Amino acid sequence: MHIPDGFLDLRICALMYFGTLIFWIFAIRKSRQNLDEKQIPLMATLTAMFFAAQMVNYPIVGGTTAHLLGGPILAITLGPYAGLISMTIILLIQALFFGDGGITTFGANVWNMGVIGVFIPYLIFFLATKITKSQKGMLTGAFIGALIGDDLAAIFAGLELGLSTTFPYSIQVAVTAMGLHHLFIGIGEGIITTMIISILWKSRPDLLRLQKIAPSWMPDPITFIKEG
Amino acid sequence: MDRLVVIGLITSLVFVIIGTFWFSYSNETLDVIAERFNASESNIWTPLFPDYEIPGFEGNLMMNVFLGAVFTILIFVIILVMGKILKAQK
Repeated sequence: MHIPDGFLDLRICALMYFGTLIFWIFAIRKSRQNLDEKQIPLMATLTAMFFAAQMVNYPIVGGTTAHLLGGPILAITLGPYAGLISMTIILLIQALFFGDGGITTFGANVWNMGVIGVFIPYLIFFLATKITKSQKGMLTGAFIGALIGDDLAAIFAGLELGLSTTFPYSIQVAVTAMGLHHLFIGIGEGIITTMIISILWKSRPDLLRLQKIAPSWMPDPITFIKEG
Repeated sequence: MDRLVVIGLITSLVFVIIGTFWFSYSNETLDVIAERFNASESNIWTPLFPDYEIPGFEGNLMMNVFLGAVFTILIFVIILVMGKILKAQK
């Protein structure tokens, strides 16, 4: 899903940098206020882990491959603003050192994978847990959040490519192709996210109960789950 | 937390090894569509390690694992330092 340089025109690149910049400002501000001593090593470990996990490409339909994004797990364990910072660092290293993604398209890539791919899963996870107040609801929210988050991130990439004058295909073609293929990737991301959250819930619930770096209207959803 | 960090970093190394030896072939949806429409990248930046390989050591899997491991640790350190700086500004 990493869009390289040359695939988006400067108008789209600037727009995506601007949109992402707003989220970066809030992410830095919220992290300054809420980041605590326990979260920092967890954030560093998970960020390193998902950088490494993105090197594992598994086959999906039509001879294409996919890899785990990690945004949903980062969002659920650390909060979406911390998840955005983590994804920004991963994408920056990938673009600068490995040529995975681009410099002009960096804002768009962070928007797709670091904003949409992080905030949407967290929002769905938050709503599912708040409404159901149960472990089952929480895990269902984790799965659906990861699935929709991944697919929406791909649909946004398709929209940007389709709207760009430098890339020779229509919005319809780009969005359909990206959205359909990434549905399969989303299912994989959903299964792995649900598995990891389930394992953490059973073995280290304290990690899921750490304060989240999230918008104030989305407090830690884990607190809604009834004890026992 | 220290134990968790060690487990996390070992897991990361396992991902790097699996991703280098068995699941390195990448053919993402975007690449397929771009190829279909003859679209080509126009890089404005020359990365140091294109395709996650060290120039001069292309195809050397052990060097690729080394590179992946070094950058995994580097990212861990960057976030650790960044987190400490952000926390200090509280």
